[in-house]
Amino acid sequence: MELEKVLEQHFGYTSFRPGQKEVIEQIVNGKDVIALLPTGMGKSLCYQLPGYIFNKPVLIISPLLSLMQDQVDQIKQLKEKRVVALNSFLNASQKKGTIQHLHQYRFIFISPEMLLQQQVQQKLISMELSLIVVDEAHCISQWGFDFRPDYLRIGEVTAKGNRPPILALSATATNKVLGDIEFYLKMNNPYTFIHSVDRPNIHIGRKMFQNREEKLDWILEHVIETEGPGIIYTQSRSKTESISERLLQMGISTAAYHGGKDPLDRQFIQQQFIDGSLEWIVATNAFGMGVHKQNVRQIIHESIPSNVANYMQEIGRAGRDGRDALAMLLFADGDDEFAKFVGMDDFPNEVHVDLYIEYRRKDELPSTMIQNGEISETAYRVLDYWMHQFHPNEVKQQLYAMKNDKMKAVEEVLQLIQTKSCMREKLVHYFGQTLMEKPSNCCECCGLEYKDIIRKREQSDYKEPTVSWRRRLENILLGFS
Amino acid sequence: MIFEQILLQIFHNFNQERTISAPFHLLKGKRSGQTIQDVGIYHLHKFFSILPKLSRQHYNDILNSLIEQQYIKVFDEGSYLLTERAKEVAKIGEGYFFNGWYYRGNEHIFFARLSLIVQSLSHQGENQMSFSPIQKDEQIQQWVRQFLVVNNYKEGHLQQKLFEEMVSSLESSNLEERAKTIVINRLAGFQTAGLTWQQISYQEKLTEMDVQLIYISTLHSWITHILNHSEKYVLLHQLAKDIRVIIPLSGSAYQTAELFRKGYSMEEISHIRRLKISTIEDHIVEIAMNDPEFSIEQFISTEDVKKVMMAVDDYNTRKLKILHEVVPHLSYFQIRLVLARGEEVGT
Ligand SMILES: Nc1ncnc2c1ncn2[C@@H]1O[C@H](COP(=O)(O)OP(=O)(O)OP(=O)(O)O)[C@@H](O)[C@H]1O
Ligand SMILES: [Mg+2]
Ligand SMILES: [Zn+2]
Repeated sequence: MELEKVLEQHFGYTSFRPGQKEVIEQIVNGKDVIALLPTGMGKSLCYQLPGYIFNKPVLIISPLLSLMQDQVDQIKQLKEKRVVALNSFLNASQKKGTIQHLHQYRFIFISPEMLLQQQVQQKLISMELSLIVVDEAHCISQWGFDFRPDYLRIGEVTAKGNRPPILALSATATNKVLGDIEFYLKMNNPYTFIHSVDRPNIHIGRKMFQNREEKLDWILEHVIETEGPGIIYTQSRSKTESISERLLQMGISTAAYHGGKDPLDRQFIQQQFIDGSLEWIVATNAFGMGVHKQNVRQIIHESIPSNVANYMQEIGRAGRDGRDALAMLLFADGDDEFAKFVGMDDFPNEVHVDLYIEYRRKDELPSTMIQNGEISETAYRVLDYWMHQFHPNEVKQQLYAMKNDKMKAVEEVLQLIQTKSCMREKLVHYFGQTLMEKPSNCCECCGLEYKDIIRKREQSDYKEPTVSWRRRLENILLGFS
Repeated sequence: MIFEQILLQIFHNFNQERTISAPFHLLKGKRSGQTIQDVGIYHLHKFFSILPKLSRQHYNDILNSLIEQQYIKVFDEGSYLLTERAKEVAKIGEGYFFNGWYYRGNEHIFFARLSLIVQSLSHQGENQMSFSPIQKDEQIQQWVRQFLVVNNYKEGHLQQKLFEEMVSSLESSNLEERAKTIVINRLAGFQTAGLTWQQISYQEKLTEMDVQLIYISTLHSWITHILNHSEKYVLLHQLAKDIRVIIPLSGSAYQTAELFRKGYSMEEISHIRRLKISTIEDHIVEIAMNDPEFSIEQFISTEDVKKVMMAVDDYNTRKLKILHEVVPHLSYFQIRLVLARGEEVGT
């Protein structure tokens, strides 16, 4: 079978991107595959195309509801109707109907918790699948940057004797994480494709400050003088609001973005960013997944990321069009302490273990802790998982160990900040790879002229004329005539 | 500012008889007996459940700013006192129309339908039939798909019809220009993104909270206008279907309400349903509490209503036993009716 033909016919692309063909060939031969391809390289195609080769459904396990929705939309835009998302958005009767007809779909997206439900399991046993895909597979590892305990239980499904091949996808994973993926998914001697994590067109800058105010001043000045579009990553929701407010006041079209924003707002921001009407987005790490903007020119880290993998993922939003982009890592004294503190904020501790037990003793739902503001939702998810696995004392030990790891992860970022040798080399090394070649203007340490990479911002006084509500509605509904 | 005005108005209605937490539960629409009863007693139907996502943090911040501006004094045990200035400000808040009791957040369903229809029609007009739907909820998507088919969107006239209905209904409803702008700015279409709350707030020089309050208020009065003139708005009327909660009553009270509406007396209902008369009385009280349009004057004269209200005032109490001693010629049932209805009746 000619894979290129299928590619052309169903996707309209003329050639494969690096890695896609290798991965697909192995899948077609029935092998388990782990594929590490950088963000935006086209991981989805690695399971979409096999969907047109096999005559049985492809099951895709995906961690985030929003991400899942995004992928379903993407497939629907290819004029594919046989695609469905099985997640908690469905009400009982919709769910029942969907499960009943599950075997008729080509692509089935499912959340891990749904996967483990009995009615779903029963249906899955009664039907044949062509491929099981685990997207964002690093979520299975507590060494990864986005550990999701639910992912660990996928193994209960993939352990079944007579199963189709498994494809595990991720953009960034260290060797340790790779090991976890293979182990927990119970993969069978998988073929592993690892693309270099290096992105030569992203130039890595770094700047040190005495304090946070200086840092903010630098950002404001930098943004007014250089050209976007760009993303400023910061740690807290309130900081996204306050920094964006400052930029707005300077006449730069900016939006704050974080997980607590109205869902409609999030879409407006993405749409405006993609169509170019927004120059800058000030975001927490909630911004990124599922945003396909080709021409992001700058990434600024106002706060240091909580680990290197996160950092890689976030700067990876830049320069998807292959053209030069600048990633600036800013650091002020005390930022590392702050990063540790923030990291812990989303992580359960011993006190939470005791609280959990206390709630149980009182015959109340431990999840009430979230509503009572005693724990964050993410932290609760982790806590709840471990409380179901171990004795409370063991959980405390486990949490303590994990906490240490998190501290270490911040230290690793700190090394990147303090290094006097090549930052790019260090980054690539972190993922167990070696850097083959350094681009010019490689990084702050090798020598980097910002103005060679990014352009001066053209001050434009042009403002979108504000139109009356009536006119706006007319434009939307009847077109701009 | 608007939020503060509204909050002061609620505090004012509560008549300093509840704690500072009561307005929070009211705005969030807490389904507890206390909150629900308070809605009736203090006549707070407007505000029930208009901000289901309000955080305690935000609420406390505003409360603190009210204290700082000396609108309100708060005491240790959670009771409060409004200052004279506060009462002035509370009056301004009355200008905003809300009907939280009847819409219960369903106004967002109305808008979700509308925004997806508008987005779809906008794309259809440009012959772009594949786009990423702005509303992700499957139920909304299904509803809109049906709406488009039933209204023959393929003929290509729906855009014009909807445009005309929207403009004429918005123009004839009693809304300020700014309110209409806010709502329309939340719509998106082909190559046109909507504006975020932050952007609107920046544009209108209002806090995000105030923008959202105006938005909710606007939807409430817009939907009310549409429902009151359903014959004029063939399309919008469909969108407003099932948005208004019919009668939020317990199942049993609902059956009593139905029979009562058909003209049966309480005794007859008691007989038909084989329920004690006291149970039927409970139902009637629940109906009076839930439906501001239900007239209690069929059970008690306006004169007597005033007497009860006066007793409430004089003795500063809502305890049935004491009130009954003051107006012994009235039954407990009658007194409860008056209390259920709250201030408004006597005035
Ligand atoms: N062979 C190809 N030729 C051209 N474009 C492609 C090819 N494969 C994928 N693409 C496009 O690349 C874009 C990114 O693909 P995809 O969403 O699969 O990336 P990803 O690797 O999953 O990224 P992320 O890590 O952000 O999830 C999509 O718009 C897709 O259509
Ligand atoms: Mg992907
Ligand atoms: Zn370098």
